[in-house]
Amino acid sequence: MGIPFNRDSGRGVDSLGIPSEQFRETVRAALGRQDGPPSEPYSALTHNLTDIEAQAQTVRERIARETPELLDRLAATAGLRGWNVHRCDGAEEALGYVTSLVQTLGASSVARSEQAVFDSMPVDAAIAGAGGLCWPAVYEGPASRTGVRQRLAESGMGITGADYAIAETGSVVVLPRRGLSRLVSVVPPVHVAIVRPSDVVGTLDDLFALRRLEYVRNGGDMGSYLNFITGPSRTADIEQTIVVGVHGPREVHMVLLNEE
Amino acid sequence: MAEVVTRQFVPASQAAVKDAQLRQALRRAGTGFDGTRREAIEEVSPEVWEEWREEARRIKEHTIGHLDYYLEMLERNVTAAGGTVHFAVDAQQANAIVSQIARANNVQTVTKSKSMVSEELGLNHTLEAQEIDVFETDLGEYIIQLADETPSHLVAPALHKTRGQVAQLFADQLGVPYTEDIEEMARIARVALRQKFLDADMGISGANFLVAETGSLVIITNEGNGRLCTSAPRVHVGLAGMEKVIPSLQDLAVFLRLLPRSATGQRITSYMSMVTGPRRDEDEDGPEEFHLVIVDNGRSRLLADPALRESLYCIRCGACLNVCPVYQRVGGHAYGWVYPGPIGSIVTPGLVGLGQAKDLPNASTLCGACRDACPVQINIPRMLLHLRHNIAEGPESYRDAGSDTGSLLARGFAAIMSSPRLLGVGRKIGRRLLAPMAKGGVLGQSRIPLVSRWTRSRDLPVPAPRSFSEIWRDELSGKGPTGLQD
Repeated sequence: MGIPFNRDSGRGVDSLGIPSEQFRETVRAALGRQDGPPSEPYSALTHNLTDIEAQAQTVRERIARETPELLDRLAATAGLRGWNVHRCDGAEEALGYVTSLVQTLGASSVARSEQAVFDSMPVDAAIAGAGGLCWPAVYEGPASRTGVRQRLAESGMGITGADYAIAETGSVVVLPRRGLSRLVSVVPPVHVAIVRPSDVVGTLDDLFALRRLEYVRNGGDMGSYLNFITGPSRTADIEQTIVVGVHGPREVHMVLLNEE
Repeated sequence: MAEVVTRQFVPASQAAVKDAQLRQALRRAGTGFDGTRREAIEEVSPEVWEEWREEARRIKEHTIGHLDYYLEMLERNVTAAGGTVHFAVDAQQANAIVSQIARANNVQTVTKSKSMVSEELGLNHTLEAQEIDVFETDLGEYIIQLADETPSHLVAPALHKTRGQVAQLFADQLGVPYTEDIEEMARIARVALRQKFLDADMGISGANFLVAETGSLVIITNEGNGRLCTSAPRVHVGLAGMEKVIPSLQDLAVFLRLLPRSATGQRITSYMSMVTGPRRDEDEDGPEEFHLVIVDNGRSRLLADPALRESLYCIRCGACLNVCPVYQRVGGHAYGWVYPGPIGSIVTPGLVGLGQAKDLPNASTLCGACRDACPVQINIPRMLLHLRHNIAEGPESYRDAGSDTGSLLARGFAAIMSSPRLLGVGRKIGRRLLAPMAKGGVLGQSRIPLVSRWTRSRDLPVPAPRSFSEIWRDELSGKGPTGLQD
């Protein structure tokens, strides 16, 4: 068993330490086990594409049926986990909310990703109208790295889209893509996530069933990261007292669109 | 490897119980973490909680039982994603691997998110010896790094420190004005570390889970430091004990439900980062290289003993520490190594050797609160008893000089307890000897020869005038006191 990989494997960096076969031999000896797969197949590891597709299809159908309830649940849970949830009927209302935030914060520099959600939401123009500057945090060659980072560190707000939002946990999920720096949602002190109804899933199990299908379809590539964001950055490391905004944002806003 | 001072458990714990500041810090932690944990369980219902625990245990049992197979799967998939996996048999080898990666990449500065394995390895000192600047970025870890101390709790490393102590530390080490305002102290740490995050050449993280089928490393954090350490530097090195593997992406869900609730009572942490290989060409940013260092360092010894194997199911939530009557009195440092509390009393002897840590399995009342709190149903008291047995019956080196007295006493006690006749005689003699010295039926904290280590801090009851079997006999013949029949 195993998934055929299309990607070039490795980047030519040698493995250090002891050979993996020797390491596994120690483990095998400790277990008193013969080499080979488990005698009972592990059901969560099935690579039968038909099964995985069927499972994902069931999940998608249930989500489609329950979308209004899931949006309500997402809004409620996200609120409990520390998001400022703002439900909007359309792009215009969403833009109004974002610009009022920019004004309240007095943020002169607002970083954003370059994602499809902004195509129908001209956020740059709206923020410019409110006296701020909204700029896409994308790199143009390695030389721009330091400059983009420094600008990010000085920005008062970062705006991103979402790939998923989980009703069970109140989390926004982001996946890697061109146009989305990993730092936009974590470096500025305020993060705004734009969530569309089609992003919502019910549970952690829903999410992992859907991602697993993508993984197997992609020939075994997960993408470099899958990140959950659930409320503001917080710590309780001094006397169990909760403080928000220690290294990540102190304030997070979920702009939840009721329609696409 | 981190310095092992487990032999000092007895004097260290005696000193700890007299430390008023520590007692105050521990009391706050015990009620805080455990209270919210219980609320979180009530919220999902104890029945659902039990189902989750059983599912998690099944996953761990299966994975650890086929660990060689899943390590191979993990390595194959990390490599396919463009990462490199390194295997280290011990701390020295693991430290050498990380040093070599640092040298190959001309690393000057490292930012670290919390990793108990790196504490176990003593990695920071190794890197610092090569003139690499290492910055712990989790606030608790940052505090103990400034204080040059070790963590005292699995999830809250600086739990032993009061706000006043942190305030003094920041004033001394960072040259900031003294403040006990916790929000201000967090802001000081944010400012001190902000630029380090963006400038660091290498980020080091631990791993809460490793997903074999996708080759992914999963960390859950609250501060955002984990995301910064794994996103901003050119090189990301993940460190993990070999037991962290789970088979499938779909196995992750139940652990994401159990771990935060068990650790701090949170329903989920602020951040969950799942990292699979370095940045791809189409990604906007991220590390150019991803390395995963898998560490044995004594774990295969725990694996080889079927009676201790389940200690490797531990997900390091710290729930057993928060409910343990011993940990709650003595704190984490008394245990003398990186892993304190009930689970540490099994893992530490496994990793550093039982001969060096033989006081730890005895540092338990066997009340079972740890087993009930464990999200993967680890039977900690059973393993502590197993280790006590190994200490008593094992090689000579495990015993104290002079522990022959203890062994003789135990044998005498066993002989008396297994003979009704001897027990009757012993009771009468004991009563006659002790009754004249007793007050209210007990001997208060006395120094009785041979057993003074037990009695000097405990009351010793004087044997009762009549034994249970005498009362029982009288009851059956119908002439004794009543009250035994309810």
